[in-house]
Amino acid sequence: MAAEPSPKIYAADGHADSLSPETLREIFFMRLTSWPDGTPIRVFVLPDKHPLHNRFSKEVLGVYPFQLRAAWDRLVFSGTGLIPHVVETVGEMRERVRATPGGIGYVDK
Amino acid sequence: MASAMRIISSRTIARQAIIAACFLLSGGASALDFSTIDWQLHGFASQGFTYTTSNQVFGASRRGSLDFTELGVNGSVRLLPNLLFSAQGLYRNAGGSDREDFRLDFAQVDYNVTLFDSSLTLGVRAGRVKIPFGLYNDTRDVVWTRPSVILPQSIYFDTLALRQAMIAADGGLLYSRYNWGDHRFNLEFMVADPQDDTGDATDFLTGIPDAPGTMEGRPLFLGRAVYEWMGGRARAMFSVVDLERDFRSNMSAIPSGSVRALYPLFSLQYNEERWSLTAEYGWIDTRRSGFTPVPLENTSEGFYVQGEYRLTEDWSAVLRYDVFHADRDDRSGRSLAEQTGQARHRFYARDLAVGVRWEFVRNWLIAAEYHNVDGTAWLSPRDNSDLLQGGGDPHWDLFSLMLSFRF
Repeated sequence: MAAEPSPKIYAADGHADSLSPETLREIFFMRLTSWPDGTPIRVFVLPDKHPLHNRFSKEVLGVYPFQLRAAWDRLVFSGTGLIPHVVETVGEMRERVRATPGGIGYVDK
Repeated sequence: MASAMRIISSRTIARQAIIAACFLLSGGASALDFSTIDWQLHGFASQGFTYTTSNQVFGASRRGSLDFTELGVNGSVRLLPNLLFSAQGLYRNAGGSDREDFRLDFAQVDYNVTLFDSSLTLGVRAGRVKIPFGLYNDTRDVVWTRPSVILPQSIYFDTLALRQAMIAADGGLLYSRYNWGDHRFNLEFMVADPQDDTGDATDFLTGIPDAPGTMEGRPLFLGRAVYEWMGGRARAMFSVVDLERDFRSNMSAIPSGSVRALYPLFSLQYNEERWSLTAEYGWIDTRRSGFTPVPLENTSEGFYVQGEYRLTEDWSAVLRYDVFHADRDDRSGRSLAEQTGQARHRFYARDLAVGVRWEFVRNWLIAAEYHNVDGTAWLSPRDNSDLLQGGGDPHWDLFSLMLSFRF
């Protein structure tokens, strides 16, 4: 079976060039909210059940998708943070991230 | 009068926080750039059905009750990456144990700074803020964030009137987060005026039915320390609430007095891809003085162990054993029954619960659960007036169903 391409971080403005796994986890758990230059971080994700979201969660962040969802639900319903924008396809991910200042997401190659 | 003052004081705190935040920010940002403002609107609507073989939970459940409704809408505006305003309106009906209808659940401003290559965050939150207690308290009215329709009642009282004093409070909290590789440490410290003049909380705290008067005194203190490994794969917490309130009676026949309560809670959770294991243990040390010739002291105890299993992405199951003792030195309730003349089963409750939930379409779920309960300690006297006359059935079953939508 051919190996599927690995999830790859995708960000506008070259922001994603050298992010450590710990920093990425802080970003996708919505705890780190601005880039070093002060631009707000805008996070995009695929739906919880999307295979690429599953692989990204586990292989890049080292967490299970339900952990992310639980953390986002806590943020929303305690009013302590914003949550990622959900896009439906990898194509939409590329478009939205490219068009959004401070945007970050992931793609499949 | 007291409640009017309370509103003013919480507003003042919020206003001061906003002014302080603006002052801090004025150095970095001379004008607000609207392209950096983000906002979101979210909400949920849940409707429950409750059936009990005897006793009543959330309305007249022996005939099947629909008196369990939770609706909420919230908005958050991020004016700057580290400055967030948010508020939530909540409608809740839970039979006799919640008759407040609409309420302001939270309305707060949150400001933080990150230091040391963003490994350390220091923040302040002020306004009406959710009480960060244990694993589930701050979002407990949203079925999506709790493991079951009915939370473990030994820790999270929903039928007893202490609930209202535990949900949200007017004041502020300081928090810090520190990341070190896969390890994360959180500390929170809160000072706030609890909402103990609402939802029968005064009666519960003083032990006087329909207590005619108001609660005042120093704000509650709360601390919570959290350790997380791998984004919450493992989690350990210690929370503690320290409450000291004075009851001012406005009826000469009923004495004023004071209530001191200390509530420590230990929480552990471990998450694997398919399953989660959770346990919490806490006790409430209460001292009531002034109401009786001799001050009354008591220590209750609550704990549960819970397993969750994710069968598929859409289906999950939960199994839990939850125990509450009104007096941990009298777990059978025998001496409390002798002292008060009430039935022994009023002073303990052991609840074995099993449940399933199914997210049948994205953002829609249905949850069903069955509880086998021994004891009546956490039942609401509002829904069960016979309990105070020595009635109530010590052995009972509860079936609960909930449909929920969120956006």
